[in-house]
Formats: sequence, structure tokens, C-alpha cells
Amino acid sequence: MLNHTSGDRLKKMLAAALAVFVVLGGRLAWLQLYKGLYYGKQADGNRMRSAVIMAPRGRIMDVHGKVLADSSPGYVLSLQAGHSFSDAEVNLLARLLAMQPDAIRKKAEQAAGTYEQIVVKSELTPQEITSLEEHLKDLPGISLNLQPMRHYLYGMTAAHVLGYVGEVSEEQIKQGKYKGLSPGSIVGKEGLEFVYDAVLRGQTGRRTEEVDVRGRVVRELAGQAPVSGKGLVLTLDFALQQDLERVLDKQMAALRTSGIAPNAYGAAAVAMDPNTGAVRALVSRPGYDPNWFVGGISTTHWKLINENVFHPLTNKVINGEYPAGSTFKVVTGSAALDKHKVTPEELIFDSGKHWLADMGNAGGEALGWINFQTAFAMSDNVYFYEMGRRAGIENLNAYAAQYGFGRPTGIELAGESSGLIAGPSAKKKVFNEDWTLGDTFNAAIGQGLTLVTPIQICQMLAAVAADGVIHPPYLVEKIVNADGSVYETPKRPQSRKLELESRTVQLIQKGLKGVTQPGGTGAWFAGLPVPVAGKTGTAENPHGQDHGWFIAYAPAEKPDLVIACIVEQGTYGATASGPVVYEVLEDYLTGKLKAERK
Amino acid sequence: MRRYIRNLDWILIWTILLLSVTGMVLIASATHGDALVTGQNRFVQRQGLFLLADVLLAIGIISLDYHSLKRIALPLYGFTVLLLLGVMFFGHATLGAQRWIQIGPVTFQPSEFSKAFMIVCLAAFLDERSEYLEQWKDYLPACLFMLIPFFLVLRQPDLGTALVFAAIAFSMFWVCGFKVRWIAVLTGVFVFAAPVLWQFLHEYQRNRIRVFLDPELDPYGAGYHVIQSKIAIGSGMLWGKGWMQGTQSQLDFLPENHTDFIFAVAGEEFGFVGAIFILLLYMILIWRGMTIALNAEDRFGTLLATGITGMYLFHVLVNVGMTIGIMPVTGVPLPFLSYGVSSLTTNMLLAGVLLNINVRHTRLQF
Repeated sequence: MLNHTSGDRLKKMLAAALAVFVVLGGRLAWLQLYKGLYYGKQADGNRMRSAVIMAPRGRIMDVHGKVLADSSPGYVLSLQAGHSFSDAEVNLLARLLAMQPDAIRKKAEQAAGTYEQIVVKSELTPQEITSLEEHLKDLPGISLNLQPMRHYLYGMTAAHVLGYVGEVSEEQIKQGKYKGLSPGSIVGKEGLEFVYDAVLRGQTGRRTEEVDVRGRVVRELAGQAPVSGKGLVLTLDFALQQDLERVLDKQMAALRTSGIAPNAYGAAAVAMDPNTGAVRALVSRPGYDPNWFVGGISTTHWKLINENVFHPLTNKVINGEYPAGSTFKVVTGSAALDKHKVTPEELIFDSGKHWLADMGNAGGEALGWINFQTAFAMSDNVYFYEMGRRAGIENLNAYAAQYGFGRPTGIELAGESSGLIAGPSAKKKVFNEDWTLGDTFNAAIGQGLTLVTPIQICQMLAAVAADGVIHPPYLVEKIVNADGSVYETPKRPQSRKLELESRTVQLIQKGLKGVTQPGGTGAWFAGLPVPVAGKTGTAENPHGQDHGWFIAYAPAEKPDLVIACIVEQGTYGATASGPVVYEVLEDYLTGKLKAERK
Repeated sequence: MRRYIRNLDWILIWTILLLSVTGMVLIASATHGDALVTGQNRFVQRQGLFLLADVLLAIGIISLDYHSLKRIALPLYGFTVLLLLGVMFFGHATLGAQRWIQIGPVTFQPSEFSKAFMIVCLAAFLDERSEYLEQWKDYLPACLFMLIPFFLVLRQPDLGTALVFAAIAFSMFWVCGFKVRWIAVLTGVFVFAAPVLWQFLHEYQRNRIRVFLDPELDPYGAGYHVIQSKIAIGSGMLWGKGWMQGTQSQLDFLPENHTDFIFAVAGEEFGFVGAIFILLLYMILIWRGMTIALNAEDRFGTLLATGITGMYLFHVLVNVGMTIGIMPVTGVPLPFLSYGVSSLTTNMLLAGVLLNINVRHTRLQF
């Protein structure tokens, strides 16, 4: 039988049991009712995996539709969102990918805090894919996906025009232009890839999947298909571009090995259609392969670029600032003739040096009594000192400005340099010295403080070739849809007529034609199938050997191509750049390049 | 015979049947993925088969007289100790613990049965000495009596079952008049001895206690179960995601979801409403068990019923508490709900004993 105590104690026990149930029920209410939404999100975070599908980047083609940059599928390694990675996982990944653990840790921290996966490395090599797949079990937080990858089909060819792509940086996302992009997105970093990024990039899509605990996809949830980027049809003529690069490389190697110019590593060359401003070829040396940047540049390649003192990444066509040398005589001649400070017939005596200053010709030669035509063809300095003196520095600078110096040409590449038109105020500012007659003399023959870029020089010559009309250079002919139809034709800067008498332009043209005829500094250009017009130039370089210019347009009558070429430390223009322009013009005029295209 | 049927506690019977069927429904959902892969509902079939057999077993037990248990108590004690020793030598290990013995095609967990056996043995042991339980020293023989099996399960290692033994003993001592003052002293001793006891715990057990205090210590290791279980239950919200619709359970984020974490499946798929419904069933179970203890015709019946009810209560508290993150993870199944035929059989057996006690009750009500 039960005594009284036991009954009492059983009742207390039941009360304790009730208390237990109240606690359990209360906790359930807290978890399910109060914190329900929070845990609901956690459950979704567990099962839902959202992945970004990169849009294929638009193609970049030359003027004839030849594809220069394309997108093709490559394997991408990304970290799943919301997964926290252990040190062991980070170190294993770093080892498999030959990357710095810190770099991976940073990405892993990003991944842990977002709902989107973070790209660690794209363009995986077959070996990397194999070793990653072997360790897939140890790395539950990674995923391997096929994503479109940028490919530059011809490597270094036209690298400075095309530019390259890379991962968008955190700072860039914070700034306006790349707002809304997910970390790891690929954007243009240089060249047209950068400038036309919004056009080329397209719209990233999104895929949401339900996965189980092993990361296996159970089913697809809602998603959004990517929209591929628009394509660019450039003004570049691939055959000409390739030819110019080939010839320039050959010439520079020859200059170096012959001992004439052992430091000839930097160069810039640009070719355009003077009638439209369409850039047909653009080369900067040393170059680089934009494919190196796809999927993150390797240490080896980065060293190759970064430790090269000749700056491979710099586009010297738009950022190289050089004295114009004797090519500037186009401006000086224009100023003197147009202001009627000299007639074409007037003879001026060259005794080897100017009578007002102890300044002479580069080689010290004396040409005696010469007129404009002879002085231009033989690039006489004494004659042009006198032209500079007669025109005055103000007029020289005014004409230089007319020809487009001192400001960017407006070509569709970022960060174009302005160059500099030097005058009394500039000298005062830079050197705190007064302007002297000697400075005017130097300015007249393109030495001294005035600096020009190759694209500016090319634009100048194109203006002469086009009978005094400047058609500013441009690179993008049209923006096209994936099917090739025209989406948009980019707006171009207005062409503008030089305020020159037409007689002046004709006289300059005549002078340029004289250069390439017997007696001119480029006499051997007479060997080309049709007459061409050109000018040599040697830019004094206080830091080494002189830079050699050669500029030309062809044919002399009804020209459709202008080339400007400069080889840094290549010595005399005729020696350094003349052969490059000659060979390319030869290939161009004989129709060899057209044949190659077919 | 008529009196027996009339005296049967039908509320308790329906409660237990309802719990068992709920368990089957939850097990079906938790093992749905396995069924899809293997093409057969082997867990549900096995549990169902044993449920039928166990109901028959319980009916058999009701028809016996529970007083006869007193006579077999001593041999049963010897058998239990041998059984636990057998596990130590012949058992095979899963999940780091030696808990299973295989006989023919059936593997079973002797520690589950030992819970039932120890309730019977201890009830008989205390009943013999009930007149002399005045001083705290008087409880020492009973303590010693329990310590042998206690250490044997602890050696497996099975901390959960060892604690169940403690809970059974404590609930019976309590009914015998164990003083509150002594409990306070015991608690003090335990707190003092805790650092020493810590040394005797296995590393995985220490980790369970560590992550109980802070699951985020090791979210993908020892803390994983609790975190996922809380997510499952919490995300069920008021009405749940629906049967077989729980993403945590169905996509395997919730481990052990058909055994120790079955309650999380209920919470996820049937929400607060479903979870509270299950808790209510357990409350009825406990209430009926206590009532039977109160109404038992003799002291042995009271002790038996108290031990059984105390065991049920402790299981519910520890298991549910574990799934909602207020108890450390121990391998204690949820009575009648968790998959596991040893556990089911033991619980059914004990339910049969409860009903048997009730058949001869004297009418007293709370």
C-alpha cells in the first residue's frame, strides 16, 4: 500500500514533469514562432545554391569581320556562398592552384558573407581540373563550372587596341560604373575591352538550384538566362595590323643585332585612312599577350610585364610623348607659307648654320642656296630655323594647335596623352626661363619642349593627305548584335577643315612628295610601285640614342593610307622607321595584304 | 477477465498507439530518400513489424501478474549484468560506441533492454527494504546495486543510458522519501567532482558538452547536429512544411533524422502545432503513468510505475531538449517515435507493465 509521503511526492513529480513540458513548449515557441523566419532563411541557405552565369563577352572583329577576340567555355573554380572554409581547405586549395593562401582566404571570407559564389580562378588547366576533382570530397564548398572565357585568337596582335579583361575589383563595384556586378565578374581593364565594357559585357544570368547535403543538385529553381554582349567591328585591317607588327619586330631586331641601335625595344606605329580617320593598324612595342590576363595573370607573366623597363602595357601610340623632330616641319612650313612669310621660290642661303645663332644642321652639312621644296625634301634645319623666326613662336603654336597638337585626338582609348605645345609661357612655367630665339629655332624643327604622340603625328599627316581636313582617328566601326546585324554606330567626333589656304596644303604635299624622290631624305621610297609622300624625323633624346620617326601617306595622289612610325632609340628616322614604313607600304600597294586576306 | 478489460487504462493505450503511429509517419518521411534509392521502405516495414509483435508482447504481459516480476528480479539482475558484459566482449561498434549485439538477422541494443530490467530489479530491491529507508546511508546498498550496470554501460561508452539509469534510480528514491536536503548535498558534491568527472569523459563526449554550450564552436563537426536540428525545427514555423516536404530532413541536412533526431522532422514538417501535439501526447503518457503509480495496489507497483514513468519523462526531456538545443547531444531515443526496434520493444514492454499494474488498481485520483 501507498503511504502518504509517496502520494505527495508523486504529485510533486507530476508538477515537475509539467514544468519540463512548459519549458520544452516555450522553447519550441521561441524557435518556431519567434525565430521562425530566421531559421527559414537558414534552411533556404542550406538547400539553395545560387550561381552566376557569366554572359559570353561580345566578339571583337576587324573591319572585314575577322574575329580577334572571342568567348569560349572554360572551367571556373568558385567558392559556394555561405560556406565557411577551414584553414585546411584553404591551404589545400592554395596548393592545388599554386596560389597564395592569403588570396584564397580573402575570397573565402567573401564567400562566407554572400549569397553568391565567388570565382577563385578561371581558365583552369586540365591538370588543375583533375587534381581538384580528386579532392572534391575534401573541399565540399567549391564548385567547378563551365563559364565563357575570353580568348584573344592572335595573342599579342593588336593587344593595345583590344586591351584585356580581368576580375572586377571591390573598389570598382563600390564606384558607380560597375554597380550591381557580383564579385568575380569579368570586366574590361584596358583598351577597347575597358572603354566598351558595358557593350561587350552583356548581362550575367543567374541559376538557382536546390542541393542536398552532399551538394548534389536535386532540382533547378527559378533562374535567369544570361544575355550575351554585343560585338564590335573595328576599323582595323587584320592583315595590315599583322604585317605592321611583323615588319616592325623584324626591323627592331635588325637594329639591335646590327649594333646600330642596341636599345631599340620600344616603338609605336599607327596607320589610318586619311579620308575617314579609320585606324587600320595600331602597334605598340614591347607588347604582351592579353590571354595572360584571362583567369588571373601568373607570377611569371606578371614579372615579364612588370620588370620590363620598356613598359609593355603602355600604349605608346597614344601615351608615348616624343619630340616631333623634323616631321614638325609640316607645321612650321604651313605657318610660314600660310602667313606669306616666304614664297616657295625664295632662296635662302644655308652656310651650315644660321646667321643669328650658332645652330646648324644635324650632320653639319651646308646646302647653299635652297628653296622650300629642296629644304623640305632634304630636311634642312637652317632653312626652317629661318621659317620659325619669320613666322614667330605664336604662329608656330597656333598652327600646331590647328593640326591637333596639345590635346587628345579623341580616339576611343582611355587615358590618351595631350602632348605639349611649348611656348614662352610653358618655358617660364617649367624652367622659369625666358624664351629665346634659339627656342624658336628648336621649336621650328620639332626639338625642344614640344611633345607629340604618334597618333597626333599621324592625324597631322592625314590632314595634309586629305587636303586640309582633319578626320579624327577612331577604332570602332560599328556595334553589332550576335547575329552580325548592326546594333549601333558609335558617334564620332566631327571632322574639321584646317584654316589653311589650299595653296599651302598643296605646297606641303609637294614637299612631302619630294622627300621620297631622288634627292630627298627618303629617296629610296621611289622604288615603290606608286609614288608616295613622307617625312623623316629624328627626335633628340637626352637619355639615350635619338628616336627615329618616319611618316608617310600613299599613294601620293588620292591617298588612302597614312602611317606614322617611331622607334625609340632607333637613331635617325630614315634608318630606324623608314624601312618599316617602306615594307608595309610595299605590301599594301602591291596588293599582297589583300591576297593574304583571301 | 471482464474486470481486467474494464480496468485497462484506455487513455494510456490510445496515447501509446497514437505516438507509435506518429512515429511510423515520421520515420516514413525521414527514410523517404532511402526508400526511393532502395525501392523498399525497409525502416518502416521493420518498425511496423516490431510494433505489431510488441503490441502482442504487451498484451501477453498484461495477462500475467506483475508480482511475479518480484520473484525473477534477482536472476534478471544477473542476466542484465551478463548481457552488458556480453556487449563489451561480443558487441560490435557503430559511431564509436560498442552497443550492438547481433543474434541471427537481428541486431539489438542490450542497453535499451537493460533499462527495463533495471527498473524491475531496483523496484524489487527497494520494495524489500522500504521499511528501512530512513537515513541517507540506507540508500547506499541500492546505489551500489545500480552502480555495476551503470559503469558497464558507461564503458560502452553510452553516457545516455547511464544517465537514464540514474534518472530511474532517482525517481524511485524520490518516491521512497529521499530528502531534498540530500539532493542538495549530492548536487554540491557533483559540482565539486565535475572537473574530475570531466577527465573520465571521452573526447567526443566533452566536445558534445562544449558545443552544447556553444554550437558555433564547431559548426561542421560536433555542433553540426544541433545547428541543423534547430534550423529544421525553427524553419517549420507554425504549420510546418508538410509531410515529406521538410528540406532539412529530405535533403539530408539533418543527420540521424529517423532515430535520435526524429523530433526535428516533426518540428520541421508539422510545425509548432505538430510538435506541441506530440508533447501533449507525452504529457498524457506521463500523467497516466503517475496516476498508475499513485493508484497501484502495493508499493512494488508504485515503484515500478514510477521508474517507468520517470524513464519516459527523462527520455522526452533529454531527446527533445537535445533537438531544440537546450540539452547536450546524447544518444537517447524518443520513446515510441524514434526508429529502433530495441527501444520500441523495451518501451512497449514497460507500457505493458504499466497497464498490468493498473489492472489491479485501487481507485485513487489526483
